[in-house]
Amino acid sequence: MDLLSVLNPVAQQRGMMNIIKPNQRPSTLEGATVGLVWSGTHGGDLALNRAGEMIQERFSNVSVNFYTGGNYPSPPHIVKQAAEECDVVIGATAD
Amino acid sequence: MCHDMIEIEKMGKPAVPIVSGRFTDDAKASSKAFGMPDLQFVVVPRIYRNLADDLCVSQTEEVIDDLIQTLTSEGKDVSVIEQQESVIRFEGEDRYDAVLKMNKEFTLKDWSDALPIYPPTEEKVRELISGTSLPADHVVCDMPPGFGLATVEKIAINAAMAGAKAEHMPIIIAAVKCLSEMGSHGGKSLLMSTSPHAPILMVNGPIAKEVGLNPGSALGPGRDNEINITIGRAFYLCLKNIGMWYPNKMDMDTIGTTRKFIHCVAENEEMSPWPSYSEDRGFSKTDSTVSIFITDGELDVQDQGNTSADGLLKTLAYGITFGNTTLGASHAEGHQRLIFMPPDVAGPVGGEGFSKQDAKDFIHSHANTSLGKMIQYMPINDARVDERWNWLKDKTEEERLAIEVPLLHSSSNIDIVVVGADRAKTLVFPSGPTAATVGIDQYK
Repeated sequence: MDLLSVLNPVAQQRGMMNIIKPNQRPSTLEGATVGLVWSGTHGGDLALNRAGEMIQERFSNVSVNFYTGGNYPSPPHIVKQAAEECDVVIGATAD
Repeated sequence: MCHDMIEIEKMGKPAVPIVSGRFTDDAKASSKAFGMPDLQFVVVPRIYRNLADDLCVSQTEEVIDDLIQTLTSEGKDVSVIEQQESVIRFEGEDRYDAVLKMNKEFTLKDWSDALPIYPPTEEKVRELISGTSLPADHVVCDMPPGFGLATVEKIAINAAMAGAKAEHMPIIIAAVKCLSEMGSHGGKSLLMSTSPHAPILMVNGPIAKEVGLNPGSALGPGRDNEINITIGRAFYLCLKNIGMWYPNKMDMDTIGTTRKFIHCVAENEEMSPWPSYSEDRGFSKTDSTVSIFITDGELDVQDQGNTSADGLLKTLAYGITFGNTTLGASHAEGHQRLIFMPPDVAGPVGGEGFSKQDAKDFIHSHANTSLGKMIQYMPINDARVDERWNWLKDKTEEERLAIEVPLLHSSSNIDIVVVGADRAKTLVFPSGPTAATVGIDQYK
């Protein structure tokens, strides 16, 4: 019999050294401002707009804001604006 | 998009990406890379980009309940911090059997390139670490796209798997560092793209000859390229197991490319009429450097008898004229051409008094093509089309096809590296963004 010992090649990820948990969710979207962040790729806008419409159909007093920086990742000011102006945000990975 | 949603979460607001099916593992991997492994997302079956409008809408409607639930209820903590064992043991009937079992397991975990690897034993890894003066626990960089900690030891482990030797370590370490200096577009986004963007390493300076890198027929399999292959493979394994560049997780190619069996070449400085690539970038002739180019294809541009600079460079200019131009606002300067120019082209061109810049200028001025052909890839009404192209919207297809424009924005979008054996066969790569170059000697 032979026992071969080798070293593990996989590195520790920086992102996993300081994990951030997602934020607490609102219990309802009633009266919420919903942000839609579009990367500019075909179809993602259709998806986001339809999602926004359906949320407005199901909850009252929902405002929908649409944001795009024309590419991905979005420019930092677009991301910041969406975070500041909205209660929740939806994005679409169209690629 | 996961990156953007995580940034919004970091600013205190719930954010949910809608993820296309094939990208589920990509979303999980990206969430880990960006520090939020529990990012909540909703999955639709198909990728939106090439989907008909009605299908974009209908597949979104089908997940609206999931989307609302994800926005209004706490997700389960799904992340489990995986404790990686630092030593892995394989028991076999004999050493050969144990090595086979190790290879089977490493391939299963997707830690290799699916070809047999050399066992990264502690003894072998220590031997490789002796090739640099840096300590084993020194962090060279956070290696993109997944930002693993590139310690000297982890680099050595992956280099050992590739069959590298101690004298190769300074090149491999410098290459790992070099990728981290390419910026978020070339160093991360393009590597994760659905297009087959692949790095290629190019070494300048004395170390190339010292370790036996082949500057001649430098790409391809076989004995003559043993060192080129080994160093390139070591870098690939680092990119995979340190940079987390795992296929279908952080490497989302639609078809893929054999260029991802990454190669390392040396510039053929002895046969070049010009200063080397690294000298162009401010290094001295006695400095050893590694440069990384991100390539997106390759084409042989052959010349069958021209001997003058005018003839050879026109062949090249016409040969590199293919592909797209960027219509978007960002990365507008990103489309480039990396030219591996053989001595049988560079020599006569330089011999007629052309500097390297003269050659680039000549190629640029003769590489013109139909704008209509170059923009066919993206509908002109796409939201990403920059407003400077608005004037095109009034043109018919025939009018757009008739407009001739330069292939590239400027001659600075052309890189020339002299590589190759006898014969005027130039290898051209669509490439970009601008390469990064790092000194190797600091890692000896």
